[in-house]
Order: sequence, then C-alpha cells, then structure tokens
Amino acid sequence: MSEVEAGIRELLAAALGRDPAEIAALPADTPLFNGPLGVGSLTGVRLLAGVKDRYGVDVVAEDLTLESLASIATLTRYVADRYVADRYR
Amino acid sequence: MRPVRWRHVPAGGAGAMTRCLVKCVVWDLDDTVWPGVAIEQDAMPAPYPEVLRAMDILAGRGIVSSAASRTDPSLAAAVAGHPELAERLVAPQLGWGPKSEALLRIADELGIAVDALAFVDDSAFERGEVAAVLPEVLVLAPDEMRLDRPEFTPAVVTDDAKARPRRYREEQRRRAAEQEYAGSREAFLRASGLELTLGPARPADVPRVAELAERTHRFNTTGEAWPADRIAELVDDPGWFVPVGRLRDRYGDYGLISTALVERHPRGLPAWQPRLFMVSCRATGRDVPRAVLGWVMRRARADGARQLLVDLRPSNANLELRLLLRGNGFTAADPSAGSPPAGTVLLARPLDGDEPTVPWLRLIEEAA
Repeated sequence: MSEVEAGIRELLAAALGRDPAEIAALPADTPLFNGPLGVGSLTGVRLLAGVKDRYGVDVVAEDLTLESLASIATLTRYVADRYVADRYR
Repeated sequence: MRPVRWRHVPAGGAGAMTRCLVKCVVWDLDDTVWPGVAIEQDAMPAPYPEVLRAMDILAGRGIVSSAASRTDPSLAAAVAGHPELAERLVAPQLGWGPKSEALLRIADELGIAVDALAFVDDSAFERGEVAAVLPEVLVLAPDEMRLDRPEFTPAVVTDDAKARPRRYREEQRRRAAEQEYAGSREAFLRASGLELTLGPARPADVPRVAELAERTHRFNTTGEAWPADRIAELVDDPGWFVPVGRLRDRYGDYGLISTALVERHPRGLPAWQPRLFMVSCRATGRDVPRAVLGWVMRRARADGARQLLVDLRPSNANLELRLLLRGNGFTAADPSAGSPPAGTVLLARPLDGDEPTVPWLRLIEEAA
C-alpha cells in the first residue's frame, strides 16, 4: 500500500468516525458512496477538507464532477497524481 | 427581464459573499429596546413604541426579532411573560456571556445561517465584539437601524416569508421535543411524522419558487437567476416540468421547500434536464433532497426519459449537493448530451429503475 493510500484510508476513517483498522482492511476498489463505507454529504465534506489539508490537493475546486470519488483506489490515484511531497518542493 | 447572472462564488475562488437578506434582527434590550438598565429599576421599563412598531413591520416582511441581553438570567422569565415582548421575540438570550455566543445560539435555534442575522446594540463595545467574532452579522447602532435598508426590504414578500415567525416558533418546539426524545436523531425524525408532498407547481407557487431560486445556496445546482415571469412561463409550458415539494410534520409546516426547473426531452433527447434544482436549508438533514431527486427520476422514466441530465455550477456553497449527486449515481455526461457554459458541468444519471428512495420519509404525490 502506498503512503498516499494509507493516508487516504486514515482520512476516511476520521471523516466517518470509524475504526482505522477496519478501513485499512477494506479492498481498494471499495466504493466511497453506498456500500460498506457509506460516505455521505457531510462526511464527504469532512473527507475532502482533510485531503486538502494533508495533501494540498483541492478536489472540491479541481474535480468539478467529483469523478475521483468512485472508490478508495480512484481517490488515491487522483491525489497521488497531484500531491507534491514536501521533500520534492 | 433581467439578464442571467451568476450569484455563486466559483469553487476554490476567493471573493466577498454578497450581503444576504436578513431573516432575524437580534436586539439588545437595555437602552436599545427600552430606556435604562432593567435590573437597576424597580419595575420592567416600557419598551420604546417605535421599536415595537419596527419589530411588527419587520415581522410583516418575514423578518423575526430576537434579543441578546447581557443581564441576569432571571430576567428571562420577565421577558418571556412580557405582554408586549413575549410574542415579538423568538429565542431571546439573556445571560452574562458574550453577545457573539448569544447570536450563534439564536442562529442555531432558528436553523438559519449567521449571515442572515442583524444585531442592534447601543454599546459600541458590544457592537465591536460581535463584528470581530462574527463579521457576517449586520451590526448596527440604534440610529442606524432603518427599515428602508436593503437588507430589510425584500423586493417581494411571499406568503412563505410572512409565515417565518410561525415556522421559527414551530422549530423551537420541534427542537425542544427532540432534546427530550430518548432515541437517535433518525428515530426522532421517524416519530415526528415527516411528510413530503410532491407535485407540479401551480401559478400561485411561482413567487415562492422564484424566492428559492434567489435565496438557496447550499442546495442549488447552478445559482442562476430565474426571474418570476420566466418561471411562470415554464409552469405553463408542456415542454417543462416544474415540481414543488412541501414538507410537514406533527410540529408544523415547513412550507414549500424544494423545486426544480426541468426541461423535458431537451434537444430531442430521451432525457429530462433539471436546469435548476433547489432545496431550502430548513429541509436539509432529513434526506429530503434525495427523496425529491428520486421522485423526479421516477417521473422522468415514466415520461420515457432514459437519463437525467443535471447542469451543475460548482460553488463555494454547494459541495454537499455535489456530493449528494455523486453519491446517487451522477457522473460526467457524455459530450454528445450537450455542452454547458463555462464554469458549469453537465452530469448524467441513467434511469434504470434503481432510483433512490427514502423508505422512512412518507411521500405523498399530487396528481398533475
């Protein structure tokens, strides 16, 4: 699991108020909405705020149709493609 | 007819929010609503007649009054039973804490945003404290409190707006009941007997539909301005579908809280296209937007549509709505479906018979 994926899973757990170990164990293609995660409007706002805060990637402003929110894997890929780690700045 | 204008601040963009119409004026009491300091006098001072008159005129425009007074909390009972103030003040806050906190409590109790508050206080200190902590609040000295200010003069006062004082009282009763309820929020909502009535708009609904188009931000797909006369044309036009949703529960009536302007079979496509979809803030947190969307989808499918196309203009305010749409199967539309103006995206959702329902929310359909 990449560093970004681990971070996204942590942010998901925090946004949903769930046990991080439980979220860490889910398959990468687990959908964000519906299914076992059940991200909703309010938890989604929290999640995206967390992503912007930790990775500096503004999904809200840049992904107009929120395509990246299909699954843990798609969000991870979206963020990883845009995240510039501190060590590279 | 006004040209189209965009009210929303684009997502990620900075910029000042335009001043909203005020929904509640919060008055200081000592030396603002009445002369002198109440706890220093033997009897309750008589309120200034011109202040009572102002409160009544504002109420007629759908603007309620409340109070934030830094005084002994024991005065609350006197205010609650005051013949001239009891009925004029909703959720008055009397205590020793900062007035900014009192304002936050009032906004929370009434279920309105902080930027829909005005605050009137004779004390420059209090005005300064509130202005510093809550810059969105319209802060006024008593001599600046003029009824002809734009924030207090809506162009049209709908019946819905006039009913606002009643609705706030009902909301207070509802919240008090929820606090006493021994169960989850969802269980409370079920027990409160929520009913959503959906049907086509009638001409008499047009002013309220226009008001929703003007005033909703969080659950508004484009922030586009639609003048009332244009909406009236659409209500009459068989090429368009303008649904309205009304919500009530055992505590009272939320009124007309959702609507949409839906083009049927645009450009000859087997689709329905909500050009605008709106839900009032007062109806959120109850799965109402999802229920309305699901119902519109079922009506669209019954009309032969195979997809729902939604124009969406992402803004600083409508992220929850964007998430709701994404979570209910809306994705970027195929470019062949249409090309919206800059800053707007077109979303599509196939209508396969799996439209969302909210099982615990009672839905009543009104015939066309």
